[in-house]
Amino acid sequence: MSVTTVARTLALVSAAIALLLGSPFDASAQAARRPASVEGYAMLGRINFTAVESFDAIVGEPSGPILGGGVRIGIGVGGLLFDVGVWRFHAVGERAFIFDNEVIGLGIPVDVRVTPIEISAGWQFRIRKLPKLIPYAAGGLTSLRYEETSDFSTSSDDVDGTFNGYHVLGGAEYKITPWLGVAGEASWTTVPDAIGEAGVSKVFNETDLGGTTFRVKITIGQ
Amino acid sequence: MGAAIVALIALGTAIGHGQLSSAPAAKAMIQAAALPAIDRGLRDQDPPRAARTGANADADRVRSSQGDTLPYVRGSIIVKFKDDATRGAITTATAQVAGTIADRSSWADFDIVDIPTNVDPEAAAAAMRARPDVEYAQPRYRNHAMARPNDTLYGNQWNFPAIDMERAWDIQPGGSADIIVAVLDSGMAFQSGTVRYNSRFSFRLTPNGPVYPPLGVVDVPFAAAPELGPSGSTRFASPRDFIWNDDLPVDLDGHGTHVAGTIGQLTNNGSGTAGMAYNVRLMPVKVIQSLWDEIFGSPFEGTDDIVARGVRYAADNGAKVINLSIGREDGGAATAVTDAIRYATGRGCFVVVASGNTRADGNQPNRLAQPAPTIAGMVAVGGVGRTLDLAFYSTTGPYVELSAPGGDQRQGGTSAGILQQTLDLDMLETYTRPPSQYGPPRADSFAYEYFQGTSMATPHVSGFAALLMQQGITNPAAIEAAMKQFSTDRGATGRDDLYGFGLINPRATLRGLGLAR
Repeated sequence: MSVTTVARTLALVSAAIALLLGSPFDASAQAARRPASVEGYAMLGRINFTAVESFDAIVGEPSGPILGGGVRIGIGVGGLLFDVGVWRFHAVGERAFIFDNEVIGLGIPVDVRVTPIEISAGWQFRIRKLPKLIPYAAGGLTSLRYEETSDFSTSSDDVDGTFNGYHVLGGAEYKITPWLGVAGEASWTTVPDAIGEAGVSKVFNETDLGGTTFRVKITIGQ
Repeated sequence: MGAAIVALIALGTAIGHGQLSSAPAAKAMIQAAALPAIDRGLRDQDPPRAARTGANADADRVRSSQGDTLPYVRGSIIVKFKDDATRGAITTATAQVAGTIADRSSWADFDIVDIPTNVDPEAAAAAMRARPDVEYAQPRYRNHAMARPNDTLYGNQWNFPAIDMERAWDIQPGGSADIIVAVLDSGMAFQSGTVRYNSRFSFRLTPNGPVYPPLGVVDVPFAAAPELGPSGSTRFASPRDFIWNDDLPVDLDGHGTHVAGTIGQLTNNGSGTAGMAYNVRLMPVKVIQSLWDEIFGSPFEGTDDIVARGVRYAADNGAKVINLSIGREDGGAATAVTDAIRYATGRGCFVVVASGNTRADGNQPNRLAQPAPTIAGMVAVGGVGRTLDLAFYSTTGPYVELSAPGGDQRQGGTSAGILQQTLDLDMLETYTRPPSQYGPPRADSFAYEYFQGTSMATPHVSGFAALLMQQGITNPAAIEAAMKQFSTDRGATGRDDLYGFGLINPRATLRGLGLAR
């Protein structure tokens, strides 16, 4: 089982646990009494790219840190939530030549930036015995900007494109105070056909720029 | 030069081609210093000359004048016995062709079996090949340079912009002295000095032409080509002359020096022309003879065994790239050379061979280049002209793997050739003058000459390989794969017999791959 598969499974399990922790009864019970809410958040995490071999060949590992933020709105209709988040992955590697599956680095710096905007809709739940813990699950659309620049390149050699995909996520927020919380979250994203037409991704026949992320959020608001 | 066949008037001692074990008195360095080299500048008004093939190689003319028109040497063959062959079996085998085995030469894993001169070497080799204790046997086929000098600075070097070299040099500026490129050719203008030769016979250059008299003992001044590097400097590594069996592979032809220039001409030095990998070290290995070497009675000529030894020598002495702008069309497979090339690639050398110049003359393949598709780390190179179309002379076939600028003067005149500094042919080829003006050559005078041929295309690929090695791709098979992967497709889509996988693209290859582009 690959790292990606494990990560994807964890993301889905997280979403499922979030669903299980809050029963539909709880959710519907909330419908009448939950006020609208607005939270802003900052997040820090790590992504494991689906294109394992491509990222490994160019930036040295198939995963890396991400940093981002967003806004979550509960509209007061049950546990319904809307979330808009954005994060960025940035790594510097080197261009390479692949021969017999051996990666030969060429010493030419390459700068890779992945910046997805995630628009999600989902549900947040209440656990009566743990009122400060709010599990949630969501899914939605991803608009991912991929930028790749390297030394000795012209504008036509560089890549700057936006690709669309979708994602599912699940997690739980713990309210430290009514205005301040901390959340743990896992997500799985697929952005098909974003890469694979050239570069090492073509060699490895990898086309998906998605991956699995694990992130910690600091939330402010209620 | 055409089909100048010659009748020798043997007024002097016949030229010797025996297998001497040491250099004869006919060549001796008598002074290791010389006046500065003469630079006679750009020679762009000279008429184009034909690309060189076996039919018009200068060196062959003197031999032909002796009535020897065979493409191989009489009186001996190349034999490789199997490792488990017993001494008795070897004795029996050689006796079958009335042969004797000479002491094995250096840098050879085969033997030279001397046979009677009245025995057909092809038949003797066939008889040996039929024996179970023989791995291969072949006549000692003669090789020659794959281009012919044509007579005329960076602005004149269309060939480098044509393959995007300026941007390639941004990425990899000329390699470094860590990379040694061996030039197995007619020698190289790498050292200054005076060499004493003995010209002992007269000859004609055309059947009814004038007789050129023996010159007796002559002192020939040499100089290192100013654009290659100073005489005695570390620019030149492990020189070796297999034609004279010494360590003084001076060039009496101009071909090797021109080829070396395309690989490593000094660049960004404010004068002359540029080279592909201008910081590498050059290894001069002389494995083919010039007409002057013939006139002076060189003990060896550029047969397969000599070329094979040269390849092994280069591999054993630190060469990382071996340039073979030489070859032959006659005869069958060049097994001894192929074996040596396999040895060299096994030692991490990348080997580049000219595809040949026979397209307009029967398109016979260069036997040295033919094994290229079966050896990872060896490529056969065709030539394109200024329009990037295949040059009129560039031999086509299934063994052609890459193309590079070789010049095509039929499509663009003299300046459509490949320009480099080499020996001043006016001062060198005194045998083109009337006999009254015929005299010793000067090899200390230089000019910028336009040559054409796959000989000129080949060093582009050798220099390119050196740059790739410096950039980090050191496995010869990987170099070959990279060159093919990033080549610019020409002709029919995909690999074809004219251009191979296409025109080399050094800039794209050196950049390699990003993640998505």
